[in-house]
Amino acid sequence: MNPLETRGRSRVVLWLLLAAAIILYGFPFIYLLLTSFKAPLDAIAVPPSVFPEVLTLENYVSALAREGVPAALINSVVTAVVSTALSLVLAVPAAYAITRFRTPSGRVFVVAALVTRMVPTIAVGAPLVEIMRGLGVTDTSFGLALAHTTISLPLSIWLMASFFEAVPDELGEAAQIDGCSRPQAMVRVVLPLVSGGLAVTAIFAFLASWNEFLFALLLTSVRAQTTPVVIANFQSQFGLDWGGMTALAAVYSIPVILLTLFLQRHIVAGLTLGAVKG
Amino acid sequence: MDTSSRHAVAGTAHTVLASGRPRTGRKDRGDRRFALLLMTPAVLFLATFVLWPLARFIYDSFFEISPFAGAPRTFVGLANYADAFASDAFRSASVRTVAYTLVVVGMEFVLGLAIALLFTALGQRSAVFRTVFMYPLMIAPVVAGLLWRFLLIDNFGIVNQLLFEAGILASPDQVQWLSDPGIALFSVAIPDIWLTTSFITLVLFAGLQNIPGDVIEAARIDGARYPRILFSIIIPLLRPVIAVALIVRGIDAARAFDIILIQTDGGPQGSTTTLSLLIYRTMTRFGDPGLASAMGTVYLVVMLAVAIAAITLIWRPGSSAR
Repeated sequence: MNPLETRGRSRVVLWLLLAAAIILYGFPFIYLLLTSFKAPLDAIAVPPSVFPEVLTLENYVSALAREGVPAALINSVVTAVVSTALSLVLAVPAAYAITRFRTPSGRVFVVAALVTRMVPTIAVGAPLVEIMRGLGVTDTSFGLALAHTTISLPLSIWLMASFFEAVPDELGEAAQIDGCSRPQAMVRVVLPLVSGGLAVTAIFAFLASWNEFLFALLLTSVRAQTTPVVIANFQSQFGLDWGGMTALAAVYSIPVILLTLFLQRHIVAGLTLGAVKG
Repeated sequence: MDTSSRHAVAGTAHTVLASGRPRTGRKDRGDRRFALLLMTPAVLFLATFVLWPLARFIYDSFFEISPFAGAPRTFVGLANYADAFASDAFRSASVRTVAYTLVVVGMEFVLGLAIALLFTALGQRSAVFRTVFMYPLMIAPVVAGLLWRFLLIDNFGIVNQLLFEAGILASPDQVQWLSDPGIALFSVAIPDIWLTTSFITLVLFAGLQNIPGDVIEAARIDGARYPRILFSIIIPLLRPVIAVALIVRGIDAARAFDIILIQTDGGPQGSTTTLSLLIYRTMTRFGDPGLASAMGTVYLVVMLAVAIAAITLIWRPGSSAR
């Protein structure tokens, strides 16, 4: 038992405090959900009410039927999947090399990857527009996935490096003594041991792309536009359609929230890894 | 700014760099070559899609560039930098960026630590609630920004309505969260705080589990009360963890873009125009990429300097004094 754990009657007070915190923290999204089930005019009524008068799916029907919305949802999935795959393919070998061989070049690379996290997105995004045009991938999901990988790759390298760190070097070495080549030792012996870590890294790479906005705004126009941009445009394009906005936001957020709840143990590991390990 | 940032794990840097674990195997040439081969694709990717654009961005800061494609570009030396430093917009945006970052990080630290202590005090039974508490981390900043704009909107925002019904406000439009220039910068920080306090909570909670119990027991026996234990034992022991959490969040808050853009678009009267918004606008709307690049370069250099100073001063990777 943690020595900071409280016993006795004051626990009741603490539970009440926690309940208050959870309600405050949960309210915004609950309100978003409740609003999404209101009738469109009800959603912008003055004064507003927390609970819907009637429950209706009208907002969902109209939001999903909007021009560009289904395509944007598909684009978001495609972009995120491609970017996640790309990130893993590049990050796993790099992280393996960094932790397993500890060469000076590996250390330099680790620092360089950390530095990319501090770069303002616009400083990379603006020149990327022309680079993507040069490559002929402007306004394509692939081009956007490349851009999103610049965000998720350094993160994936960090995460994978800490997972590889937990595997004893001796395992890979023993495999090599037993006749495995270096690539075989990596793929057959070490990689299966970090499969949980791979899953965590994949989730974070996916989320990085799924929720990204500025690159999507700069690099796509019609064909490859992802949902965050469409959600942002809901206002200007369709006037005050708060009902539709809440419905689309719910559709976009619920899958990732459910994912969190199911995989929470892994996600907590990914979030806190390294930060407390050192 | 982006989700990944919120989930950053800068601490790993420490793990990898300062790891004192001795290498067991031989580091022969084959190993080195294989290691290099494994790293090459990632290195090439980052060089092409991060380093190269960044170099172009910095290079552009020395030119006067017309926004029209194919128009000539003239080398102007440091003129863009001179313009940037002379401009009121740049100076006030810098101040706003610092204020925004301090508000976000400060609030998140206080709330995050309080909730982490609460979870620790409640022990294992609070595990389910820890999960529930984590959910905003998964929500897109764009969605969070729009959602809070909806909650705080002048005429039909639910926050003011509930505060009014609770008797705290005299009328539902007493506080103009997003249209009063005096408070808008703080209002736009709310969704950021809502979105990522859980990150700080999770990191600090994990750190709290590693605090040696005997130290706290000993302090208790010596008659120390909770505040004393908190400030003299817990916070000092958590220092490296706190540093990582604050540095990661500080970098992201200073880069915040979409969450502000979506709420106020920099308004009212420019009161929420932080550096990232100013650079974006100068680049796209005002069509002065050279000036925008100069501003961005200054911003980048300052961010790097502050982050490196913070890392070496507070975090002290590898120091044995922890």
